Amino acid sequence: MTHIARPTLTLGFALSLLAACSGGRQVGNEEYGTDNRRELALRQTGAATNSGIVVFGVDRTRQAQEAASGGGGMTVNAFLWRATLDTLSFMPLSSADPFGGVIITDWYSPPQAEGERFKATAYVIGRQLRSDGVRVQVFRQVSRGNQWVDAPASNATNAEMEDRVLARARELRSQSAGR
Amino acid sequence: MRKILLGTTAVVSAVVGAAVMAPQASAQEAPTVRIGGFFRAYYGYTQQTSAQSTASTNLPTTVGNSTTFIPAGGTNIARLGKHDISTDAGIDVIVNGKLANGLTYGAQISLNSSGIEGRQLVGSRSSAGKTTVAVDEMYAFIAHPRFGQVRFGDEDGVMGGLMNSGWVQGFGTGGVHGSWESFVTRQAGGRTTTAPGGLGDASKIIYMTPQFAGFDFGASFAPNANVGEDVGCPNEGASGFCDRATAFSGARNFGIYAAGPEQAARRNEYQLAARWRGNVAGVGLAATVGYIGASAARDLTNSGQQQRVFNNMNIIQAGLQASYAGFTVGANYTYGDYNFFWGNTLRGDRAAEQLVVGGQYVAGPITVGANFVTGLFEGASRNNLTESAIGTSFVPSSGRPGAINPVTGAVQGAANNSASMRRWGMGIGANYRLAPGMDLIAEYVHYSVREQGRDLDFNRPGIQSRAFSNVFLTGVRMAF
Repeated sequence: MTHIARPTLTLGFALSLLAACSGGRQVGNEEYGTDNRRELALRQTGAATNSGIVVFGVDRTRQAQEAASGGGGMTVNAFLWRATLDTLSFMPLSSADPFGGVIITDWYSPPQAEGERFKATAYVIGRQLRSDGVRVQVFRQVSRGNQWVDAPASNATNAEMEDRVLARARELRSQSAGR
Repeated sequence: MRKILLGTTAVVSAVVGAAVMAPQASAQEAPTVRIGGFFRAYYGYTQQTSAQSTASTNLPTTVGNSTTFIPAGGTNIARLGKHDISTDAGIDVIVNGKLANGLTYGAQISLNSSGIEGRQLVGSRSSAGKTTVAVDEMYAFIAHPRFGQVRFGDEDGVMGGLMNSGWVQGFGTGGVHGSWESFVTRQAGGRTTTAPGGLGDASKIIYMTPQFAGFDFGASFAPNANVGEDVGCPNEGASGFCDRATAFSGARNFGIYAAGPEQAARRNEYQLAARWRGNVAGVGLAATVGYIGASAARDLTNSGQQQRVFNNMNIIQAGLQASYAGFTVGANYTYGDYNFFWGNTLRGDRAAEQLVVGGQYVAGPITVGANFVTGLFEGASRNNLTESAIGTSFVPSSGRPGAINPVTGAVQGAANNSASMRRWGMGIGANYRLAPGMDLIAEYVHYSVREQGRDLDFNRPGIQSRAFSNVFLTGVRMAF
């Protein structure tokens, strides 16, 4: 045992130092392997590993699932809806219809680009959390004299906005799954 | 990005790495207590060597009550059929909670009905049935977004299943590391594989770091091979059955697990693991390198002589797996001082090496896959030693055929081989997901043990250098 004590201790300190650094990401329990047969079967069969019945406490997973599947009067996916709102929150909101899944922002001119302004329309489609469940259309206008005239926004902008919404939705889902 | 979203949370987290999901403070949540479980029933068709015995199996002759006898030694033989149905079930209690500072905590207690493998009817009303429920894993965990996770209790170590890569077993019942073992008898260790979970749930402490740039690390320590609450001593005296025994009479017999799954000479087991997960050009990758070390209890068979009869465990393992568009392939290589039961080898034994490769494909509700394992281990029944005439050194009870026994001077017989043992097997299986949590399964596994000159089926005439089994199984499994 003695001959391994020193490297083990060193490693222990190194791990602690590493852990103390910021920027790490919490590793969820579902990311570790398991020898538990229930867990193995659940993972293999694609069922949520937090299935089973809650005998004490509040079943937040179920709440989240219900919310995601349109519980509480929503007809669109709650994660995507919330993610879209979060993503577009830097622009002033003009209207948001959770039943139709439509979010329309007002015109917004970024401080670093005074001569142009943007407006976005986002459609959240369906109750499922799917990558094609959100469409974002960005409109752009540039200032010519005292007139705003339409100018094309690149397609990449739309796709990038959608990707950001999806990333945020995934983040929200992970947080709710980890509870 | 879009492909990723289609995956489960686990896959997403694994693939995306540190890109997203910075820890956030959130509201404190009262703990929840959840009950889940699993059930499975398989029909199995088994062909194996050792399916009949002609020599006595040395069972106690009195079973049940005093009127039920097995014939006395010498005539206690049997022949086995090929058909059977194997059932198993388990109940899990899972506790989860979260504090306002982001710290999560909980516990898991798993009760399984597979704790007793055979029956030993010592009395008509004082025997435990084969379906008796026993605790499998039980541990508590505390996890912090910044400082990582600590698990404390009876649980697999970081290289005993928690952080390994390259073991592709997500099809059928796990292929060559799956449930075929439930149908095959143990003679000559013909069903023993060294998959990560086989290292056991010895009571331990585990620490695993958060993930940094795709990397996470882990370490675990178990003082001995035992589990559970009490000291383990069956009577007032200190004996080898006591969990804390560091040296005991007959330790030489416990290189492989004996007396149930929790009695072995292994001591001070520590495991270290480094894992990287990431996404390269849309391909999800995971790689792990790790180390398993352990010492072993000393032998006190000769009063006043504490002798070291076992090698320390000294194992390195590296694995890699890749996932793309429903396909997963992986390979894993293990090398070091361990035997085919994940036990300590005797001094002088060769190191073991093992290669596992596998692949699987998921298309909607259907999963198909195959895996293959081949390994070279120290041969013979390497769990015992014979004293030399001098009394201070030990020689194995068996040696290479033709070699001169260093003590007796006699030429070793062919049946006393301790050469290399080749163990290989392959499994192919498929699942159909009837409903989330419920699978219909079909699987075929072949497993083979070869060792030149050693009799692996002593009930047949001549020296049988080979033992094998073929199992086809099909059935249903459900987790809830």
